[in-house]
Amino acid sequence: MRIQEEMTMYDKLSILTDAAKYDVACTSSGVDRRGDGTGMGNCEKAGICHSFSADGRCISLLKILFTNECIFDCKYCVNRSSNDVVRTSFTPDEICHLTMEFYRRNYIEGLFLSSGILKSPDYTMELIYSALYKLRHECNFQGYIHVKAIPGASLELVQKVGFLADRMSVNLELPTKESLHLLAPHKSRKNILAPMRMVQNRMKENKQEIAVYRHAPRFVPAGQSTQMIIGATPETDYQIMQVTEGLYKKFGLKRVFYSAFVPVNEDRNLPARTDEGPPLLREHRLYQADWLLRYYHFEVSELLSEENPNFNVLMDPKCNWAIQHLEVFPVEINRADYKLLLRVPGIGYRSAERIVKARRLGVIGFEDLKKMGVVLKRALYFITCSGKMMYPTKIDQDYITRNILNVKERLPDSVRDMGYRQLSLFDDVRFGGMEFLGK
Amino acid sequence: MKRVYICRDTVTGLYSAVYDAWSECRNDGEAGIALKDHIVPELFCEYVETREAEKKALAVEKLIRSHLGEYAYGRLYYASLSYEADKGDAIFGTMRAARKLTDSTRIMDHLTEPSVRRCFELSRNVGNEAHFFKEFLRFRELKSGVLFAKIEPKNQVLTCIAPHFADRLPLENWMIYDKTHGMFVVHEARKKWVLVSDVCADESRFDEFSESEEEIQKLWKGFFHTISIEERESYARQRQHLPIWYRKNMVEFDE
Repeated sequence: MRIQEEMTMYDKLSILTDAAKYDVACTSSGVDRRGDGTGMGNCEKAGICHSFSADGRCISLLKILFTNECIFDCKYCVNRSSNDVVRTSFTPDEICHLTMEFYRRNYIEGLFLSSGILKSPDYTMELIYSALYKLRHECNFQGYIHVKAIPGASLELVQKVGFLADRMSVNLELPTKESLHLLAPHKSRKNILAPMRMVQNRMKENKQEIAVYRHAPRFVPAGQSTQMIIGATPETDYQIMQVTEGLYKKFGLKRVFYSAFVPVNEDRNLPARTDEGPPLLREHRLYQADWLLRYYHFEVSELLSEENPNFNVLMDPKCNWAIQHLEVFPVEINRADYKLLLRVPGIGYRSAERIVKARRLGVIGFEDLKKMGVVLKRALYFITCSGKMMYPTKIDQDYITRNILNVKERLPDSVRDMGYRQLSLFDDVRFGGMEFLGK
Repeated sequence: MKRVYICRDTVTGLYSAVYDAWSECRNDGEAGIALKDHIVPELFCEYVETREAEKKALAVEKLIRSHLGEYAYGRLYYASLSYEADKGDAIFGTMRAARKLTDSTRIMDHLTEPSVRRCFELSRNVGNEAHFFKEFLRFRELKSGVLFAKIEPKNQVLTCIAPHFADRLPLENWMIYDKTHGMFVVHEARKKWVLVSDVCADESRFDEFSESEEEIQKLWKGFFHTISIEERESYARQRQHLPIWYRKNMVEFDE
């Protein structure tokens, strides 16, 4: 292990940011809180992104580790104890200084504090607590704090920290127990689920406390989240989505995040390094399905099954479902039930709401739908307005599939770059055309 | 004959024109509202210059609030801050359309009505831009300790974002300068914010930063670059979420 005495703030921040960047959750949503006029900060329910880094991910919180020293040896992690990297730690004061100075310049929405495990889980959790306590009570910071509960730390400590944070998360890391055992030998499913259950129960109690005493301290008001690594182990999309559904239903989680596996270590238990890059399309499909569960009243069993355990690569899960269930369509915009409107490809939950409100006051036509934000080139196969379809179309699986695949799906660019692309006469796809002309 | 009321591009001006058009009780299609520098002359039309008055604006504000409700008031106010020249017509049209509903407070749901749809579009555009500046605005600390931010929005978003920052930074002295419209929001610690327009500012004074400013900026830039995962890099996706248009005054995109 390399030990260095003096390190500048800049170096420390670089090391501890670099070590924290693989954590995906960087949202600042879920809680609305006005400032009380005596300190600094407030929170907006929808969350605020303050910047976007070169990989196109949002920067909302100052995402850092307290320390990158760690006694655990998880195979996929940069900070695992068997890696020889420069180790360093922040002090609580340094964390407060950085957070406050960044926050008042409107760089960030708050702090995301995670940590490697220094000495023991309890010891680390204590350190995190002292940093957050200082930030909340000495600096009077009222912005957003997202904190990681360290697996294995005592539940009392986790609870104490929960009263200072807005959101807490314990990473599930891998979808199944077996994979967890294989890749994170020091973590156990039990140690991860115990704090999750505790936070859930405590939140429930807290709701009642607040109902009785309006000024009772809030416990994790923005709820808890977790994340899973995708593509490091052989689980199918179906298995992953079932775990997700369980977490939403049984643990009352706010969000489940998916993180496409990026190889940082060589290990015989990890997939071999390839040139393909992280499985971003798969991650994207999982997020799409995740939204269908949370906002569109879908169940996992409607999207995937044992026989059909992975998402369609070519088509998003909602479209895929619609094409398999043509017996439901076409749907009459001026009459259909809200929940049925949600199932039409091209209609989001916001536009569905607008439709329901607007049709009370007038008859909706296709032109109106466009202005309300409905994506007609996808929706037109599935809807009628006053009994008419937009164009004469067939309600036929092959026909609709062909036509929908013709209008390209708007994938995030990072995903689009990875796969095939259409050739055009004027593209120079590294054929080196220019040298040919003597340039 | 159609009569078009001409006004200045301010909320007071716009509402004064609405007041005149409304009080003369003109039928649909017989009244229009145009902004002073954006008039497209039409045939068979007479043009009247509106006399601007605070009193008229307040009367219209009260009318909207009591009949159309707070929600519609908010949407119409946002629409009135838009940079589009037809906002006056859209607002007036929406108010006329509201009279035909049994429950006028429902007016903003009436998206099949063209002028309501336009107001919805305009206010959404203003709201979105205001939200962008809540995200992407950057304060720099001046020598005097004042936090200073410069923005160049298309719409007049200052009054939309000022309450947000006043709530967030109550103990700081800060100001936001809207370069496009030549307006300032000034907030003195522990006091209410004020909107200042039509002033000449010596811009060079905004370039004198405090001692620690450079250090903090360096830390932030370092953080900004380190947080990106190399294997996932995608400048197109970054541009999709954070258009280059908004990067002008952002610390992390300074050269």
